[in-house]
Amino acid sequence: MSKPRRNIFTGILLFLVCLHSLQAQQIDILLKGGHVIDPKNKIDTVMDIAITGNKISQVAPNIPGSNAKKIIDVKGLFVTPGIIDMHVHVFNGTDPDAYIANGSTSLPPDGFTFRAGVTTVVDAGSSGWRNFRLFKKQTIDRSQTRVLALLNIVGNGMTSRFEEQDVTDMNPVQTAHMIKRLFPDIIVGIKAAHYWGDFTQVDRAVEAGNFANVPVMVDFGEHDPPNSIEALFMKHLRPGDIFTHTFSYGPANRETVVDENGKVKPFIFEAQKRGIIFDVGHGGGAFSWRQAVPSMQQGFKPNVISTDLHSESMNSGMKDLSNLMSKFLNIGMTIQDVVLRATWNPAQTIKRPDLGNLSVGAEADIAVFNIRKGDFGFMDIRKTKIKGTQKLETELTIRAGKIVWDLNGLSAPMWDTELQKK
Amino acid sequence: MNKIAFVVGVLCLWFVPVISQAQQYDLLIKNGRVIDPKNHIDSILDVAIAKGRIAKVAKNISVSETTKLVDATGLIVTPGLIDIHTHVFVGSKPDKFADGIYSLSPDDFTFKSGVTTVVDAGTSGWRNFPVFKSQVIDKSQTRILAFLNIAGGGMGGDPGQQDVNDMDSKMTALTVEQYPEVIVGIKIGHFEGTEWTPFEKALEAAKKSGKPLFVECHLPQLSLEEQLSRMRPGDIITHSFEKVSERMTVVDEQGRVRPFVMEAKNKGILFDVGHGGAGFWFSQAIPAFKQGLSPNSFGSDLHRFSMNAGMKSMLNIMAKYLNMGMSLEEVILRATWNAAKSIKRDDLGNLTEGMVADVSVLSLLNGNFGFIDAGGNKLEGNRKLEAELTIRAGKIVWDLNGIAAQKLKE
Repeated sequence: MSKPRRNIFTGILLFLVCLHSLQAQQIDILLKGGHVIDPKNKIDTVMDIAITGNKISQVAPNIPGSNAKKIIDVKGLFVTPGIIDMHVHVFNGTDPDAYIANGSTSLPPDGFTFRAGVTTVVDAGSSGWRNFRLFKKQTIDRSQTRVLALLNIVGNGMTSRFEEQDVTDMNPVQTAHMIKRLFPDIIVGIKAAHYWGDFTQVDRAVEAGNFANVPVMVDFGEHDPPNSIEALFMKHLRPGDIFTHTFSYGPANRETVVDENGKVKPFIFEAQKRGIIFDVGHGGGAFSWRQAVPSMQQGFKPNVISTDLHSESMNSGMKDLSNLMSKFLNIGMTIQDVVLRATWNPAQTIKRPDLGNLSVGAEADIAVFNIRKGDFGFMDIRKTKIKGTQKLETELTIRAGKIVWDLNGLSAPMWDTELQKK
Repeated sequence: MNKIAFVVGVLCLWFVPVISQAQQYDLLIKNGRVIDPKNHIDSILDVAIAKGRIAKVAKNISVSETTKLVDATGLIVTPGLIDIHTHVFVGSKPDKFADGIYSLSPDDFTFKSGVTTVVDAGTSGWRNFPVFKSQVIDKSQTRILAFLNIAGGGMGGDPGQQDVNDMDSKMTALTVEQYPEVIVGIKIGHFEGTEWTPFEKALEAAKKSGKPLFVECHLPQLSLEEQLSRMRPGDIITHSFEKVSERMTVVDEQGRVRPFVMEAKNKGILFDVGHGGAGFWFSQAIPAFKQGLSPNSFGSDLHRFSMNAGMKSMLNIMAKYLNMGMSLEEVILRATWNAAKSIKRDDLGNLTEGMVADVSVLSLLNGNFGFIDAGGNKLEGNRKLEAELTIRAGKIVWDLNGIAAQKLKE
């Protein structure tokens, strides 16, 4: 065989192999006709999404259903990447002396996530390097939700408010080893929180962040009098570090982003330009309309919308992430902006570009929402409310290709088909 | 002088009640459709709450008499809902219900679906009930009652659950006696042997303690007919409408309710839903309902494997029955007063004045909804219930749309 002919032969063979693999690529689930919002890929239009195994295999208009095992009609609904909740407390346990680390203030994630379209949560420092392994064994390894974590700079994590003051237990080197050497796929950053003193805790967290090349999230709410957040943003944190509880109003302990005259402080805009990430972290005590509404009106938007899920926030004004997303919808944020802040923005913040998008080849974590119209009310933690006309409701949640929530049976056959089979 | 003192005294006596009357109620729920089956109430009324108890249920209670006011116009006001089948002995043991991660913390699920009381279905037995009590019951806002498992270690998994020697009717009855406020019955289930001894021991413990027996199937070797015939009026069978290999179905292959099942119902055996992950099938429940076998209560069988499946919440189960054709009043009856009576707790499931103020405010949504059963099959419907406001012992523990909140002053 001459060389050119061999090349043609190889080409045909390759073509046949490709054709075969295309045909063999069966679709397990085909989501048809939904309005896809995928900020990373700049998609904001009606498209179909094909899932094969646990991966996204195709995103395109009018994917034929002939190859699909299951077709789900999602016309009129919004289809987004699985939502990422970047601030939760899920190190649930039974230590009667602990509150968040291995205690009952933390919650098992699966009962809260899927019904709100969330497929990934980031535990915000419930554990430190001393008890992270227990957290992993007890919760992370046994949840259907993807659980990532920020490691507390305090070795004991959030055992109680007093342990959290122990500067001798804030070890940047050990914290960085835990992240970089031991659990680089799970630990995505560092948390500094609940400290009563000066900037020592933040500085140690940033030191560890530099060693491990990960961001630091700061809860700066327990200083009396408050420490300067301008100094925090401009001198102590790095671009890419995260300020949480952005719209908290408790001025005696935490400097607010909006001043008493209702004006967003000018350095807040500068800090955001510098690359500081502003996270909602609603929780049971950290989201007030009197901070959030003026902020939105003056053009200061949070980078990330997150819950700070724990037992004191779950039944309060917070409720769940889809409720928070609805809050921002009703104070004037567009659906595209809201979705960006709950998918691709948090993914980038925690340096996990594999998450929060619907690229072909990505793990198939997908949320499907409807927007309910009606008269709704949304409470903050001060028990004041705003009225609204739109509310996001989670119709369907898919985690790694598996349907883990189906509110109205979009994926189910009618019940009497079972009787007809006889 | 005496006369002046007398006048002052009279004035004081006059004013003191007036002043306190201005704050007579802590919370007033106005203009809701109150459905309180025990008291045969179904009309637009006001419900006043004071010091954690129901103070008054009447028309036109003055708004000047309350500290806080909630407008419930267009909403349904019912006694706090009771879920008689849950697994809430939550702990950190992997792969376990008792003290394990297969159970759930009740507060995570109850208030958002209008439930204020749950009954744990035998996740603990007499050996580990004290752990359950200190770890979960005493720490929850939800009122938690319990059926005590005849197996000493409760649902601690196998092989422990199969140990007939660990089924002690005396110790079980003594434990019931020790916690009369919390333990409401005895449970039998999850036994794979052919002998009736566990069933007999459970029944014996129930007789000794004067409580109902709660039969949670998973008894593959024991026939349904004989289980029902051994049960006494007032005893409860759950997973009524399941279709699984380990128990005979209540509806036969031809779609007929088996005669002995109907007989058991007529004798006074109570049928609980016990939906769970595998305990409720439309292909059983719909023919049964049409033929007169409706459940007495809507136990959800809440646990890790049912919470995100077709079950979702007791409110969702109630909506299933609404859409199957049960009237709203009948649905509320089963979720409140029927459930309370079945566990012999007449103090619950009603809005009688003086009772602890456990109240649910529900909205009835109209739209196109779908409901899934344990087999993954769907029923379509146009009505659905949503929990607007939940009050536990006079305290607001859930407020979906902020109907009890102040509007933001801008």
